[in-house]
Parts: sequence; structure tokens; C-alpha cells
Amino acid sequence: MLQRIFPVVILVFWGAAQAQSPEALDWLRRIHEATQKLSYTGTFVYQQGGRTETSRITRFVDAGGDIEKLEVLNGAPREIVRTRDTVRCYLPDSRVVKVDRRSAERGFPGLLPERVNALGRHYDITMGESRRIAGFDCTAVVLKAKDNLRYGYRLYADKASGMLLRAVTFDDAGEVEQFMFTQLSLGKVTRDMVKPRHTTSKWRVEDAAAAPATLPGWGLNAELPGFRKVVELKRRMDSRPVGQVVYSDGLAAVSVFIEPLEGRSASRTGLASMGAIHIYTREVANHMVTVVGEAPALSVQRIADAVEYRRPQQ
Amino acid sequence: MKDRISQLMDGELDDRAAADAIQALSTESRAGDGEARDTWRMYHLISDAMRDTPLLSAGFAARVAEKLAAEPTVLSPSRLKPQPRTWFAIPAAAAAGLAGVALVGWLAFAPQQPGGPAPAPVAQAPQIPSPASSRTNPPIVPLPSSTPDYLLAHQGFSPRVSLQGMAPYARTVSDQVNEGRK
Repeated sequence: MLQRIFPVVILVFWGAAQAQSPEALDWLRRIHEATQKLSYTGTFVYQQGGRTETSRITRFVDAGGDIEKLEVLNGAPREIVRTRDTVRCYLPDSRVVKVDRRSAERGFPGLLPERVNALGRHYDITMGESRRIAGFDCTAVVLKAKDNLRYGYRLYADKASGMLLRAVTFDDAGEVEQFMFTQLSLGKVTRDMVKPRHTTSKWRVEDAAAAPATLPGWGLNAELPGFRKVVELKRRMDSRPVGQVVYSDGLAAVSVFIEPLEGRSASRTGLASMGAIHIYTREVANHMVTVVGEAPALSVQRIADAVEYRRPQQ
Repeated sequence: MKDRISQLMDGELDDRAAADAIQALSTESRAGDGEARDTWRMYHLISDAMRDTPLLSAGFAARVAEKLAAEPTVLSPSRLKPQPRTWFAIPAAAAAGLAGVALVGWLAFAPQQPGGPAPAPVAQAPQIPSPASSRTNPPIVPLPSSTPDYLLAHQGFSPRVSLQGMAPYARTVSDQVNEGRK
């Protein structure tokens, strides 16, 4: 009996000692670098609940910057094309192009390589089991959340290039959602491959006109451990003005959207979810507050419950 | 056909359409054109990979089919052998027996309520536990119709994008969030 338990005990202690493996942190930096530098095209699946959706992602990098395109392969050919300045979302079913300028993102740090070390405050970061994915020999980095306010992630990256091939989001109960390439080719991408397929001369253009701004009077009356405010802006959605405040722990992010009700009744108060995304809606001071985050329901709800409006002092 | 195979696997076809699809799958492979069946196999391979199911060796299905074909058909059912009792089954049964005795004893000797026996309720309404706080038990609502807009606005600020490129945007254009606005 002891002989059987002993190796397990050793493994457990070894695992605890490895809580922040420098090798795993290096791998996170490599994945980050590969995401910024590589050109690639591939088919990938997004799976959550019982649903699977297949898309193609193509990324083209040259001296002028990078262009990325994501196209849905089944059903309506919806597309998103992201350049350095804008994100355009093409919706052929309603003949609408949604345009989001990225000026507000410019001051936004994202996950910079020097911030990777700081992730260790909320996640145990270790190496996982190697695996072959879509023909690539991949190494795994596991980020296990230290509390129940965030999800854990298993990231599988190509050993040769650092390219991320599979990302699994998990909690204590198991897998929540995942993204996985089923086919990928690196390099060999031309500019034509990232052009939008739709001619949109007769489509309606909806510009979000997002710009950094302050939302006087709005804030949280209780912070969520580890989550800090990273940006505050104003934008338009379906031509109504919406405020947005983003909180992040360095890896997960939660957005608070605030829109005046102006006599309309708010959507039903409550929680909606899709995979790792939770959305909580409630009414505050005659405004509809919608909190959207890739975080457990508990976190999204705690942020939503903390949203308050205090009349600014004159 | 690929679409229909995918729908069949996801259980999205009604009985009739599912039967048609299965019929088409078997007719096609009998005619020597295995494309549909290859698609069926590939889709299962993908879903196995995603669920971390250990992969079987190549040609496993064919070998099982061969062995099945070679098996003689047994017409008389064989007698079921009694299951050997494992060592822990007996103490467990004994413990269950003891627990039964204890329960009966406890019921028999339970002290009576002071002030005379109260009439025993024949039936009792189930107690509905009141939620301790709304936080533990939020009402579940469908995705708001503006979900694609929220996701499009949110995604650009998610640090994950710098590790994963555009993949998380797949949610923004997914069928599930766009169904609400059709």
C-alpha cells in the first residue's frame, strides 16, 4: 500500500515546489512573441457546452503591420478583419459592417512579456504534458487559478515555433471551453488571403466611435481581488451611447457596460452564459448595467453587484 | 453532406432526417465511395482529440468489424455465473443490517414530545430552502440581444488576445450569440 502511495506523495510535493516554473514563464513569453510575429492560416474549432463552431484564422505580417482575418466556415459567412487601427465585423445576414477603431486600445498594455511574472500572484504556472496537436509536437503550460474568482488555462504551443495550437479553459469541475486548431500552416500567407470576401458598398456601416473618456460618478463600491481598472471609454452601440469600464487581473478581463435607460425598460436582471463568458445584467440609477467577462459567474456577479453611481461633487 | 454529418453528430437532426443521413452514409460507403464515412471518422477524431479520449490504433474499427464477422452466432444463452463476493461486500452488508437495526431502535425509543403525543402529520409540504443571498442563486436569463456588440467591444481589451490572436473573437461571430438578432 505504502509503495503505491509514496510516488503520489512525491509527485504532490514536487508539484507544489514547482508552483512558478521559470520554464513555463519562458514559454508564455514565447507564445506571446509567436502570436505577434508569425504569419499563418488554419482551421480551428471553438467548443463550449455541446456546441462546436469551425472557423478559419489567417494572419499576415509584413513591415506595414499585421492583418488578421477570422471567418466562420459553417452557415452565414460572418467575418472579422483586424488591422492595426480597426476591427471590422462583417455580418452578411443583416448586411451590416461594425467598425471599432482601436485608438482606445493603444494605451492598453495587454499582456506584455514583462507582466508575465505578475501573473504568478493569481495563478500557479507550471509545465504540463506534451501532446501532438494537428501534426505539431506541442508543449503545455498550465495556469491554475489560486482562487475561485478566475478560470485556469491549459495552453498547448508548438515546440518549434511557439505558436499556440490549443487553449483549454477549466475550473474545478472540469473543462469550460476550448479553442483548438485542427489544421495549421505557418508562413505562406499573402495579403489577398486576409482581404474581406464581402463587397459592402450597399451595407450599413455602424461605427462604434470608441474613445477614452471618464464616466463621472460611476465606480465599484468593492474591488474584486486581483482585478484592476485598466481602461474607461465611451462608445456607440446600435446608435445608443454606452460607457465601458474594463477590469483585468492580467489574463482574464471583465467589462462593465453602462447605458441610460431613457424610459426603456432594462433587460431582465440575471445571469446568462456561453462557455467561459458570463453576462450579468441589472439596473442601477436608471441605467442598465451589463457586466461581460471571461471569468466565473461569481466574479462577474460580484463586480455587477458592486457597481454604483454617486452624484459627482460639484 | 458534411454539414449534415456534423448536424447528425451534434444531434440537431430530427429522427427522419437522421435516418436519411445514416442511410446515405451506409449506401455511399457500400458503393465504394467512402468520402462521407471518412468525414464521419474525421469529425469523431476531432471530437475525441478535444475530449482527450485516448486514440485507438489505426484500423481498429476495421479489425473489430472483421472479428465480429468471424464470430460464430451463439443461439443458446449461457447461464449467468454467480458473481464472486468480494471481501468488502460482507462487512458492508453487515454494516447495512446494523444500520437498519439502529434506525428501527432509534425510531422505537425516540422520546415522546412532552405534553402528550402530538398527532403525527400524514404528509408534509416540502420545505423550499430560501436562497441565502441572490449571489449564490442568480436568475438565469437568455443571452441579451446585444451580446455580439458587447463581445466585440470587450474582446479587444482581453489580455488573452495577445497570447491567442483572434481566436477569442470566434465567440463574437458564433451562431449562438447571433441567433438572438435574426
